[in-house]
Amino acid sequence: MIEQPAPPHLAPPSSRAPLLAIRNLVTAFHTPAGRIPAVDGVSLSIERGRTLGIVGESGCGKSVTAMSVLRLVASPGRIEAGEILFSSAGTTLDLATLPEPAMRSVRGGRIGMIFQEPMTSLNPVFTVGDQIAEAVLLHRRVSREAARARALEMLQLVRLADPQRRLDEYPHQLSGGMRQRVMIAMALACDPELVIADEPTTALDVTIQAQILELLSELRARLGMAIVLITHDLGVVAETCDDVAVMYAGRIVEQAPAAELFARPRHPYTIGLLAARPSPGMKHSGPLCTIPGMVPLPQHFPAGCRFHPRCAYARLPGAESGNGRAVPLPAGELPCNAGVPELHEVAPGHFVRCFHADSLGPPRSAQEIAAGGLFP
Amino acid sequence: MTPTQPTRSGGFWAEAWRRYRRRPLALAALLFVGWLALVALFAPAIAGTKPVLCRYKGHLYAPCLAFFDRRLEPAVFARDRFRGTYPQNLKEKDPDSWAIWPLFFQDPYRAVRENEWPGRPANPARDEGHPSASHPFGTDQYGVDVLAKMVHGTTVALLVGFVSMGLAGTIGIIIGALGGYCGGWVDMVTSRFTEIVMCIPTLVLILALTAIIEKPSIWKTMAIIGATGWTGIARLTRGEFLRLRQSEFVMAARAAGAGPVRIMLRHILPNALAPILVPITFGIASAILTESALSFLGFGPPPPSASWGSLLNDARSNYSMWWLVVFPGLAIFLTVLSYNLIGEGLQEATDPRLREARK
Repeated sequence: MIEQPAPPHLAPPSSRAPLLAIRNLVTAFHTPAGRIPAVDGVSLSIERGRTLGIVGESGCGKSVTAMSVLRLVASPGRIEAGEILFSSAGTTLDLATLPEPAMRSVRGGRIGMIFQEPMTSLNPVFTVGDQIAEAVLLHRRVSREAARARALEMLQLVRLADPQRRLDEYPHQLSGGMRQRVMIAMALACDPELVIADEPTTALDVTIQAQILELLSELRARLGMAIVLITHDLGVVAETCDDVAVMYAGRIVEQAPAAELFARPRHPYTIGLLAARPSPGMKHSGPLCTIPGMVPLPQHFPAGCRFHPRCAYARLPGAESGNGRAVPLPAGELPCNAGVPELHEVAPGHFVRCFHADSLGPPRSAQEIAAGGLFP
Repeated sequence: MTPTQPTRSGGFWAEAWRRYRRRPLALAALLFVGWLALVALFAPAIAGTKPVLCRYKGHLYAPCLAFFDRRLEPAVFARDRFRGTYPQNLKEKDPDSWAIWPLFFQDPYRAVRENEWPGRPANPARDEGHPSASHPFGTDQYGVDVLAKMVHGTTVALLVGFVSMGLAGTIGIIIGALGGYCGGWVDMVTSRFTEIVMCIPTLVLILALTAIIEKPSIWKTMAIIGATGWTGIARLTRGEFLRLRQSEFVMAARAAGAGPVRIMLRHILPNALAPILVPITFGIASAILTESALSFLGFGPPPPSASWGSLLNDARSNYSMWWLVVFPGLAIFLTVLSYNLIGEGLQEATDPRLREARK
């Protein structure tokens, strides 16, 4: 399996449809306190063999988006609208409406998932080998011996030291990094075309993080699957992703190829996030830039652009933005609370959800922002 | 690769056993119950009036099996009019016969007659049956040996515990698992049902059911105890399933494509089993007590079966025969205590919080 040629799904000549296309996804939680739209009109597409990073603060809806793809959103959460089109083996399935039994064969079979907490994501009462073999047996009609052989092969693939022995060990006998390797082996055991990694390195220490990310990139190059990497760590995105989507309060605010996003961020939120990172080229040794305020609770999302109360560039009719900075509203432009800005293309492949993306001044790189502050 | 903690082989249960072994009382209790199980299994070979193995008219027989089920008594002995008295009849009717006898020649269901075993007197009856060398635990008012009765009653005591709690455990785990895993209206229905059953005083319910039942037998008593004793197990199972349903490894199993039945049986149940085993163990103890109480009140299985509780019932009308109270009472007490000690040991061996506190 390791030496096999590139899987056939790598380059389908006929279809130009992306591997996964999410269209206007709305996932909301119905709680006694009311309806909470955790994901509100998200559209994304992932091409075969590429890595998409979804970045955002806690509670911005990035994990719920990923869970919606596998339809694992726990009650009282529900997918209310939108399509999740998954094109594989010549057919396109809408995962938002696919019946549950068919969905089960997608989970783990065609889309693998890696979780944040390797310490608790493995069942403590089964050996590592049993768990990987189970993932195989759920989707392939093979014997137990064949499944076990596949488990061993997967452990070798994720470069776990001494795989033969680890096969019969229990999760508590492994370290966090080793368990995450086992999780990756489980997710990849059935050759999925898409792997969703929900903060796969957050619970690990920095050196192990790097190893795991390197392993993921290497496996992607070797097996040709696409990866959706959910993270709040911009450094992780910069190192591993081809494309980036930045989420804020349930919506995508900016989407671009990674290099483009880091070189020319256009949305004030992205600019703020990049400015908040310490960088070696910083001019002054003062405090780091921060984005004032907090992510609003879904019950209290502001009207219009959801970021405007925290936005350093916000333009409101009274020329008074939420943080007290006066910015004149240029003629012919809408105030930030006037309506929901659409995601529009500002450069090839670069989408921004901001009324004023074009009047914020010339795009600047992350380094410039970090070194010079938000305003030139 | 990162260094790991020293690897110990074996999983959760091996770990639990390692911790359990360190508790001498719990270990002694387990050995005691194991010993009781052996006594129950070999009861006809320990005390009885039928040969364990004999050769009669050229064939080998094991008439002692009749103590487990009457139909197992070889027909040839009935045809030859043995009338249950083997030692003399064997010699008289086939001089070449031989037999291996039980360790203790006494019958749990009747008094041994004079010369039934050549040269031995009949069992003393009434209050003359003090404990003595030939009857260590004495005899009851009809002259039946108490030790023989107790040896054969072990089967009942153990079966009551295992069968009734096996039934209660099955019902409780199914109801609790459904409620805890499915949630919503299923949980609502199962929880309310459990609470309703809990509200009924168990002993009264059992007495009522026993009164309705036409032909009481030990099996029916067990079924009744099991059918009323599952509520605590159901509540605990529900809690465990509710907790584990949210756990990350269950989410990971769902993400790997496992269906609900598989998740419940393979992923949640093994993890919930340790805490559920504890009330089951305590339940065995209380089932034995309940059976004794029922027998004591006269609602137990009918006379041909020996149970420790019915021995206590005999003592009720014969206050002077203290040995009818002390020995069966002691046996019940020790067995119940053992199960409680086992339950406590299990709890401490499998409960992570208590485990930390002990260090």
